[in-house]
Amino acid sequence: MVSSLKKMKLIAISATMSLLLAAMLACNIGGEADAPAAEPMASEPIKFGMILVGPRNDRGWSQAHHDGGAYAAQKTGSEMIVMDFINPADSPDITVAQVVDQMVEQGAELIFATSEDMKDGILEAAASHPDVPMIWSSGDSAWADGDAYHPELANLGNIMGKMEYGKMMAGCAAALKTETGNIGFVGPLINAETKRLANSAYLGAKYCWEESRGKNIADLNFEIKWIGFWFHIPGVTLDPTVVTNDFYDSGADVVISGIDTTQVIVEAGKRNSSGEQVWAVPYDYHGACAEAPGACLGVPYFNWGPSYLNTINAVANDNFSATWKWLGPDWSNINNEDTSMIGFAKGDALGDDNWDTLNNKFIKGLANGDINLFKGPLQYQDGSTFVAAGEEASDKQIWYTTGLLEGIIGDAGD
Amino acid sequence: MAIVEFEIILAAIISMSAPLVLAVVGETISERVGIVNLSLEGSLLITAMIGFAVASITGSVLLGFIAAALLGGIIALLICFANITLYINMIAVGFTLTILLGKLSSYLGQPFVRIPGPYVPQIEVPWLKEIPIIGKAVIDQNVVVWLSIASIIIAWWFLYKTKSGLVLNAVGENPYSADARGINVKFIKYFYGTLGGAIVGMAGASFSLHSIYGWSNGHTLNYGWICLAIVIFGGWNPVRGAIGAYAFGGLQIMALKLQGVLFGLSQVLPLIPFPLMIMSLILIQYSQDKQFIPNRVRSILFGNQPEHLGDTFKRG
Repeated sequence: MVSSLKKMKLIAISATMSLLLAAMLACNIGGEADAPAAEPMASEPIKFGMILVGPRNDRGWSQAHHDGGAYAAQKTGSEMIVMDFINPADSPDITVAQVVDQMVEQGAELIFATSEDMKDGILEAAASHPDVPMIWSSGDSAWADGDAYHPELANLGNIMGKMEYGKMMAGCAAALKTETGNIGFVGPLINAETKRLANSAYLGAKYCWEESRGKNIADLNFEIKWIGFWFHIPGVTLDPTVVTNDFYDSGADVVISGIDTTQVIVEAGKRNSSGEQVWAVPYDYHGACAEAPGACLGVPYFNWGPSYLNTINAVANDNFSATWKWLGPDWSNINNEDTSMIGFAKGDALGDDNWDTLNNKFIKGLANGDINLFKGPLQYQDGSTFVAAGEEASDKQIWYTTGLLEGIIGDAGD
Repeated sequence: MAIVEFEIILAAIISMSAPLVLAVVGETISERVGIVNLSLEGSLLITAMIGFAVASITGSVLLGFIAAALLGGIIALLICFANITLYINMIAVGFTLTILLGKLSSYLGQPFVRIPGPYVPQIEVPWLKEIPIIGKAVIDQNVVVWLSIASIIIAWWFLYKTKSGLVLNAVGENPYSADARGINVKFIKYFYGTLGGAIVGMAGASFSLHSIYGWSNGHTLNYGWICLAIVIFGGWNPVRGAIGAYAFGGLQIMALKLQGVLFGLSQVLPLIPFPLMIMSLILIQYSQDKQFIPNRVRSILFGNQPEHLGDTFKRG
């Protein structure tokens, strides 16, 4: 009798647990225009794989890639296979090489691996599938003059945008808007890419603070805090929400996002809507300002569509070559979705006068070469020379930036 | 200037600690009636996920909180059912649930990982926010922060100043005596255990809709364990527990401020609650053996662990 009662109780526990489960289940820096040259349109559509580090709808880095792939697929009638969340935190048991194997098995004729963090996996996959063209976005494995050249991987090319220009625009917008002279920069992890982007934002801010507003650079505080990765990983990185609020609490009124998710603009929006005069510049995705239009000064964004379209056409036309492409804006119209790799979408909070300065003076100056912010003398925080007086930084100097520039407050990870 | 900076830091600590305060209050109520909700780590994860998911789908932050509170209550109810009705060890059930719920939150929450969604809006209170210190620290916040502060006061008043609170404490201290006096021990345990779980559920939603906005795998990682530690550190008193939660928030703010100066220390500061928990337990155990320490002093220093905390109540 007691035994059967126990059994009934166990069944009751199991049933309750099952109900709970079921309920839950229901639920180039010199300034010339260097937009990608158009390939002839593909004769036949292809199937290609898109490996994303984050979710395809993050309104940040991953969505920019996803939308670029969708643009190219739509233009060519090709089919895109998407795998998102491919990173050690979200998918610890899945490697990039495994994903590539699976995509190739599904018939993918071209693979896009879209994160710097995918380096080891895509190098391994390219070696394993030498007949499948691949693009490692943001990498430098196909750069003959680069420090990490892999000439043996003739099927692995690289595409990256010259976001340095976009960050200069972000920095300029911040400097034009700030009332306190305190600008924060939420950085991801510390590497050459993130340092050159932070430096670019600072150079843009410095230029517009001094030249457009006529102020002394000593009165501009430009501080960077690193969270530890491109997005928040609980228990591993700092929380970007907390870092952003700490910037505002410490007197910054503009925060520039260097991370791939939207916390910076969201926090700015919360404060702005309660009456605080604070603003933000998000990153990566052209629609990022929609999170908080009233707090958004504008967004520098990647437009991967044209370069991905060219790559698909090249593969379909059988003339793919593994090259390193570092593509800048189409200076005739940086927001042309069919031609420009880098754009800057104006935010509502920037104001017409500031936009006029940013667009008709600063961006125009970058476009025609009148403004070259990577011209020496430029020094790192420790006083060592980045670019000597009278010289202009080469692509290699910029790509492999080793430190933060003098004038930036924050750790350079040295 | 120093006052302004103090106000700002205090406001940041109070805002950031709000979810942890709610969780501590919820768990304190539960433990005072004798129910240890060891599923806390998993409960916070899944209620944070459900809160954000429901709010994202419906566009209503309120519905997100309601869903999270309901789920938190159901989880606690399961533990109560397992222990009070089925006489199963609540520690074992809670621990198993923590693992299950943590994994479930990752699995079910995948469509919501790192996507933007709704959040608790800031509310502007024009005049009161100008009051020195509390204006910035307390008034110029949002509903979650106000709720967390109110929960401390209400829980303290209820536990120590009302007849119902006396009954609750009596059941946690000695359910057999309470039973002998005609108190419906099982009902009291069920009710307050579930209520504590519902408050923990609201704490989960407060993480994803307020302090750590959004959802990602392991979003509230370790906060459940930290909460359990703080409840012990706080001597099962909601006010002392809340102070512990605010101290933990302060450590996190300090860790951020020290990033540029002492990177190593900023990694270590958030770990402090764990050794504090061990020390508290040692001191409680030590003081219980020392009859020369008056009960009143022992209570102030170490708090009062409910005598029958975690025990299975079974009528002889």
